[in-house]
Amino acid sequence: MINEENIQEEKNKIMIKFDNVSKTYKGDFMALEEINLDIAEGEFISVVGQSGSGKSTLLKLIYAEEAATVGEVYFDGNPLSVVRKKNLSAHRREIGTVFQDFKLLPRKTVYENVAYALEVSGAPDEEIAENVPQILDIVGLTTKAKKYPHQLSGGEQQKVAIARALVHTPMIIVADEPTGNLDPIASLEIVRLLIRINELGTTVVLASHDKDIVDKANKRVLVLENGRIIADYPQGKYKIS
Amino acid sequence: MLLLITRTFKESIRSILRNGWLSVSTISILVMSLYIISVFFVFTSTANEMLKEIKNKANISVYFKADAEEGVILAAKTEVEKMNEVKSVEYISKEVALENFKRTNANEPVILESLKEIGGNPLLAALVVRANNPTDYQTIDENITKATFSEEVSRVNYNKNKELINKLNSVIETIQKIGISLGLLFAAISLLITFNAVRITIYTHKQEIEIMRLVGASNMFIRLPFIFEGIIYGIVSSVVSVLLLFISLKFIASYVSLTIPTVSLMNFYLANFGTILGYQILLGSFFGVIGGLMAMRKYLKV
Ligand SMILES: Nc1ncnc2c1ncn2[C@@H]1O[C@H](COP(=O)(O)OP(=O)(O)OP(=O)(O)O)[C@@H](O)[C@H]1O
Ligand SMILES: [Mg+2]
Repeated sequence: MINEENIQEEKNKIMIKFDNVSKTYKGDFMALEEINLDIAEGEFISVVGQSGSGKSTLLKLIYAEEAATVGEVYFDGNPLSVVRKKNLSAHRREIGTVFQDFKLLPRKTVYENVAYALEVSGAPDEEIAENVPQILDIVGLTTKAKKYPHQLSGGEQQKVAIARALVHTPMIIVADEPTGNLDPIASLEIVRLLIRINELGTTVVLASHDKDIVDKANKRVLVLENGRIIADYPQGKYKIS
Repeated sequence: MLLLITRTFKESIRSILRNGWLSVSTISILVMSLYIISVFFVFTSTANEMLKEIKNKANISVYFKADAEEGVILAAKTEVEKMNEVKSVEYISKEVALENFKRTNANEPVILESLKEIGGNPLLAALVVRANNPTDYQTIDENITKATFSEEVSRVNYNKNKELINKLNSVIETIQKIGISLGLLFAAISLLITFNAVRITIYTHKQEIEIMRLVGASNMFIRLPFIFEGIIYGIVSSVVSVLLLFISLKFIASYVSLTIPTVSLMNFYLANFGTILGYQILLGSFFGVIGGLMAMRKYLKV
């Protein structure tokens, strides 16, 4: 009984907390308004909403690319306004980021692109040599390790980006429109990969326009409109009014 | 940490090589600046050496009347030695003066002949006075005319080198002025050129920098390559500049030594090789690093 309770508590541990957060960009454009949101460890949450509704901004606050104008975002209990100034690089190593445009280095091979994330944070060569092949295996790109990004399909490039995001064994993956540049089949493969990563224990925050992939995930869905949360379905489908 | 440094260093070298012409032009301008600054440094230093030598040779000769007794002259010597401005006093007796005269005119039979004709020793005993400071000769001269032994003095000879010293002083001053203005000008150009080189590197590495930040590279790691780039530019330029200096001094030295035998630019260069190279590397890296830091402040918001 006690054990089970403990496990239950572990599972519900809050990883990200938005406490009355508003974000105003230069000028006075309100991109996010009075956001209160808890994301628990191990959750898979899809953020949906029309273009300009503030999805990317919400994600940027999580990986501390932007700072909240009002309120505070907590990551693992730590206020990001402080982390941003003192410990941003360590914070970034706990978060894997994936984007629509992949952000791969064109002059580096698949292997080097993934290894790069470890190199720049000063990991020893042995660790790199051990981790990179493992991660490439998880995303199914072992045979393409020596290829350059331009020799890969969009879906494969995105898998490389996911591998790079995973190589630090982050607590959470933040994916902003990861399927935005992909055809439906490749998109489905990417979302399957994200689900698998989530099943292995990593929290996933996915921002997407794509109804099919959100439905495919069939997890918690957060709906934004004009910078506000208008719905938060514990498990559901993509619906926008 | 060591790993970080060697990795970054390799990356910086790769980046400089990849930049090709930009690197070549940046290094050329740095070399030019360092070269010009050090040429002026070598010239002023040599000119100063020269000046020191000439100043050492400057003196006042106090000639005593033919009938002045040696005792009086020696007393005068002690008196002059007590003057504050005086560094040293040397007594040249009539006999020594004659010896010197004969020696310097050994190749002039006419003069020696006329000396014989006069008979006896026509030369005067003298005190050769050297001052601590070339500007003191005026005072020493005045003091001697006021001194107790002034009655016995036939004439005071000085100023022999004064004009030369003044001339050299003004030449050195001019060289220094030109050197400093040119040095400042080129320092500014060097800063601008490294600023620009690093700015372009930052620009061409925009993508890498963005990714580095996203995957959690430390600020140090993001900045280090650009600092290294500046340092490498500095070191390469200073080595090239020192070599260039060597070649051009070797060339110039052969001409200069013909006209001014006591001056050896080359000796100065060789004797101070370590210092020159050290300062150049320091100065070159300084330009590189400061230029790089300026570019980072402006274009690399971390
Ligand atoms: N750096 C910025 N400076 C000023 N305004 C910005 C900035 N970034 C975003 N915005 C504005 O904030 C609003 C929300 O932008 P955000 O990128 O979060 O929307 P989004 O939901 O991700 O849209 P999309 O689906 O098109 O990616 C938009 O109106 C946008 O114009
Ligand atoms: Mg967006």
